[in-house]
Amino acid sequence: MSSHATATLDHHNDPTTSTGIPNKKLLMWAFLASDCMFFGTLISTHMIYRLHPPPGNPDPRAVFDIPLTSFSTFILLMSSLMMALAVNAIQKGNVRSMRFSLLTTIFFGLIFLGCQVYEFSHFVHDKGLTISNSILGSTFYTLTGTHGLHVLIGVIWLTAMYFYSFTGRVTEKQAIDVESMGLYWHFVDIVWIVIFTVVYLLEYL
Amino acid sequence: MSQATAPAHPGEHHAEESKFWVYVQIAMLLAVITGVEIVAIGLPFSKWLLVTSLVILSVVKFLFVIFYFMHLRWDKLFCTILFFIGLVLAGGTAWALMLLFGVEDSKPLTYEEAASISAPADVRFIS
Repeated sequence: MSSHATATLDHHNDPTTSTGIPNKKLLMWAFLASDCMFFGTLISTHMIYRLHPPPGNPDPRAVFDIPLTSFSTFILLMSSLMMALAVNAIQKGNVRSMRFSLLTTIFFGLIFLGCQVYEFSHFVHDKGLTISNSILGSTFYTLTGTHGLHVLIGVIWLTAMYFYSFTGRVTEKQAIDVESMGLYWHFVDIVWIVIFTVVYLLEYL
Repeated sequence: MSQATAPAHPGEHHAEESKFWVYVQIAMLLAVITGVEIVAIGLPFSKWLLVTSLVILSVVKFLFVIFYFMHLRWDKLFCTILFFIGLVLAGGTAWALMLLFGVEDSKPLTYEEAASISAPADVRFIS
């Protein structure tokens, strides 16, 4: 057995790049900055049309189900925790722990998506709110639907990484790949933090 | 693909260990803040106070996630600057649009108001 100690990798610095930042991480941060602007426009559009709703526009308070949305918000927050723990695990070379955390993140992500699907279905069939029959429906479904699509892409990515970890090619040296994926997942979470407050909670004031 | 990262100082290993409990504690804090937000909307306080409180609580949650879960606290400052460029542009745009569409002149006219305005005969009002 080798007696030399394995040096701990520095996961926050890369001396081979001109910025000192790993290229994959820099790319992901640049993408997230652009995605900020993308969601900013969607949230702005919803808020603008809530300033002066046209006559006959449905009352969001009669449509929204705060207990369900609160539950899905909590689930997404917990998925963010599990994602952070997955990154923490792989940065310590613990692939098994990373797999467990990834699986839990996927599970919570699927629960969130399930809640979204149920919510949309309930709004359409029971509340009569569709994407085309009101301004509220158009802005609401476009915003939350786009967010849901981001969550779905994240779940697919997480699942792919989970199964890829079984090939033995995911080690501490590839932690940057898991971390980049984690950045995307956390971004999806922080967007929901904003959406939950602006779209749901502010309607009840 | 970027090269393998350089070896870190031994002290960082202990810091990595303690991050586990930091993440758990922050997650619990985020859950508590979310609970406070949900309760707050039912409280009999003035609207401006509640809106301000909700915004502040959301900002706190937002900052905790980006600086701890997304590692901005431990990464190079350039990552923070890069993300905040997009964030400021998005926030600034949203704020500008809210100001623009919040003024009285931006309020859409009703059909009656529009019809009462003298206009050429070939202009049709859509109800």
